[in-house]
Amino acid sequence: MDRVRRLKLILWMLLGLAAAVAITRFFFGLGATTHLSDATPWGLWVGFDVMGGVALAAGGFVVTATVYIFKLDEFHSIVRPAVLTAFLGYVAVAVGLLFDLGLPWHIWYMTIYWNPHSPLFEVGWCVMLYLTVLTLEFFPVPAEDISALASVRRFLVKLRIPLVIVGIALSTLHQSSLGSLFLIMPYRLFPLWYSPILPVLFFVSAIGLGLMMVILESHFTAYLYRRKPETKLMRPLGEAAGWVLILYLALRFGDLAYRGQLHYLFASAWQVKLFWVEIAAMAIVPLVMLWQRQFRKSSNWQWATAAIATTGIVLNRIDVGGLADLSRGGSLYLPEWTEIVISLGIVAAATLLFLFMVEHFRVWEHRPADPDADPRKLPEFNKVGFTWLGTPVIAGRVKYSLAFVLAAGFGFLLLGSPRAASMGATPTPTHRARGNVGNIGLQLAAARTGKPAPATAGTGVLYLDADLTNWGVTFYHQREIDRNGGEKSCVICHHMNMPHDQESGCYECHRDMYLPTDSFRHDWHASPKGANLACVQCHERGYPRTSAHVKPCSDCHKDLVPAGATIKITTYIAPSYVDAMHTLCIGCHVKVAQKENKPEIARCAECHKGKLNFAAAQNYLYSRHAPAGRLVVLPPPKVSEVH
Amino acid sequence: MTAWIDFARGPLFRLSLALMVLGLLRIFIITLLEVRDGYRANSDKIVSWKEIRRQTLGWLFPMFRLWRQRPIYSTVSFLFHIGLIVTPIFLASHILLWRQSVGISWAALPQVAANWLALLVIFTGAGLFLGRALYSPARKISHRQDYFWPLLLITPFVTGYIASNAVISPRTYQEMMLVHIYSGDLILLLIPFTKLAHCVLAPLSQLVTGVAWKFPPGAGDRVAETLGFADRPTWVLNPRLTTAPVEEAIRKGGVAK
Repeated sequence: MDRVRRLKLILWMLLGLAAAVAITRFFFGLGATTHLSDATPWGLWVGFDVMGGVALAAGGFVVTATVYIFKLDEFHSIVRPAVLTAFLGYVAVAVGLLFDLGLPWHIWYMTIYWNPHSPLFEVGWCVMLYLTVLTLEFFPVPAEDISALASVRRFLVKLRIPLVIVGIALSTLHQSSLGSLFLIMPYRLFPLWYSPILPVLFFVSAIGLGLMMVILESHFTAYLYRRKPETKLMRPLGEAAGWVLILYLALRFGDLAYRGQLHYLFASAWQVKLFWVEIAAMAIVPLVMLWQRQFRKSSNWQWATAAIATTGIVLNRIDVGGLADLSRGGSLYLPEWTEIVISLGIVAAATLLFLFMVEHFRVWEHRPADPDADPRKLPEFNKVGFTWLGTPVIAGRVKYSLAFVLAAGFGFLLLGSPRAASMGATPTPTHRARGNVGNIGLQLAAARTGKPAPATAGTGVLYLDADLTNWGVTFYHQREIDRNGGEKSCVICHHMNMPHDQESGCYECHRDMYLPTDSFRHDWHASPKGANLACVQCHERGYPRTSAHVKPCSDCHKDLVPAGATIKITTYIAPSYVDAMHTLCIGCHVKVAQKENKPEIARCAECHKGKLNFAAAQNYLYSRHAPAGRLVVLPPPKVSEVH
Repeated sequence: MTAWIDFARGPLFRLSLALMVLGLLRIFIITLLEVRDGYRANSDKIVSWKEIRRQTLGWLFPMFRLWRQRPIYSTVSFLFHIGLIVTPIFLASHILLWRQSVGISWAALPQVAANWLALLVIFTGAGLFLGRALYSPARKISHRQDYFWPLLLITPFVTGYIASNAVISPRTYQEMMLVHIYSGDLILLLIPFTKLAHCVLAPLSQLVTGVAWKFPPGAGDRVAETLGFADRPTWVLNPRLTTAPVEEAIRKGGVAK
């Protein structure tokens, strides 16, 4: 048991480290603990914890199918550990998913709010149902020792074949659907990974991984508990996995050849190197090792083969899940250490649960005996504290909890201040709406008289991409004016007049895309270069100089708020540009959609029609007002594109 | 020096606080589990729950039991503990740090009250130290570390009081803060691993002695067997029964036999 105890100590340490990160993650959010961004929203947690975890747990359905459907009874002794591994794997997936979900407490939403068009909906249901099936499949094992549950156990044993069949069906469905998730993004995934047959590739590799995982787990626990390795039993499993891997290689390269993508194999991107590492680890090296004579006899050789193949296939899931993503700005996603720690912590927790189950229930033929737990054994002094810590259970309690606590403290030490206090969204300054808004006065005059508007009146079409990324919304300003009642409709949207301006543009106060901004510029008012006001010209004398004791802005700025403005200003903290636009536009669109029974005008795609290379199309030099009121001409934006 | 202060206020404080909270939780749970184990081992013994409850409540509030025996000591000690716990948690400057870093805050003490409480801790702490050093019976049952704890505990209060009342020593603010924060971190760090852990273990002390501190049946014989006296019945007072074999075993680093 010395090896088990050493491993448990390490696992509890990892768990402690992960606990520190987990507290930070749930308190301060994903921004504080991950390198994920709007450009790469899926990373290691989806790739490893969810997709890798589901694939690693494939051993459950592969082995139950082998034994109960194909009646290969010589593998009966590995059914229980395989089902236990699968069960813990799916529990780990569910827990890992909670970390990655922005609103983890909404995880049950998919059971009520159905979206039958989404592969994720299917994956969610299948994982939920299969976890239930696995629980029912494994439940008879712990129930063996409890006489009160004997009838439940007998019922579940009778139900075994139907459960196995349902389990295989559910596994087939969602192992492949995890691949279907990525069919939606042909331009985001590097061409060596994207394939219309991704679901098939995922399913085939999951079978191979399931078999390899059974081998790995068997030999690893044999090493841990000093049991006799099941080399003979594992050999046919390894050979079966070999055939699956050959099929996988044929499918993958055949698909690349069929679609004419083979030239990418020797391109000079770093993703190509990643591809070769992945293919070598998941198929080529294991296949070569399977061919050697050592594979028949040597448990170490089998162990190494399975370890390499498992690493390779999990790497494949991580690559598809985020590492091989082509981000819009060409930015590279590499996992933050905290993401790795959480993943390791979840694996550690699952392993500890596995060891617990193995030691307390009859997962194997015989429970592993602990020679130190013999009451006749004489106590030994602990080498560090020079005391007797107690029986193995009590000593373990003392040591593991200490390892956990110390590691958690160390984790909090490592989580630096900026990380513990989330930086939130990156500041993204906004700019004036682009486009030919023209002379609205001339347009209104033309509308009144019924004559065609002169050329100088402009088209009245704006392009709203205040962060200048060319991903924006085409806004038919003139059309909105005409629909909402001409001149008097300005105040429906425009609710603030900047000094020396009327119906000022949104960007003047909503100065950041994603962050609220202060529309009142205190520095400018107090600065000698600005308004050059003394404190007491605004703040009341004899009171603290806060916003509570100050005269209203409208005392000086008489026309700050346009008469009849529908949006009432209660605070000078302006919401972000995105929030302001969405609240204003969607609010109106939803009402009109209901009134006129046109549901489509409240959809996202009604306005967000995609990318418009505005600057190139119109050769337009857009401009904005600098704070001092001068007109500044900016160069067109540079948006580096991979495609 | 600012960098050192920032380190102690940031990462080191997080480490200390995490170790304190988790460490106290750990020993509390371990103690309860051991009480459970002890109860299971001695299920044939009678445990007087009512007496345990009465004793625990009696000792937790010193005005009941200790007051009758040592009124001055119990009053000083009680006041010391009140100030020690209340002041750091409800000090406005500390709450401000919490609000800036984590974003949570709660009601604060007025500065005047905090000042008086700090002085209370300093003087009662010094009083406890002097009482231990000058009162002969107390000195006899004291270990060397017992003189250290009151001095360590009042260090952040002295330095914090001087730093927040700048008129006392206007030029040493940074130095005072340095000592204040590092000694505070050290206290948090030491709490779960030293006798300061009585802050959570004290309510359990009567439970442990009442429930767990009983030998399981046949324990005496097993102890004798372990110590190498298996051939002698333990209830016979034997002059030849010495601790020499045990001492030798300790010297060797293992147990005899």
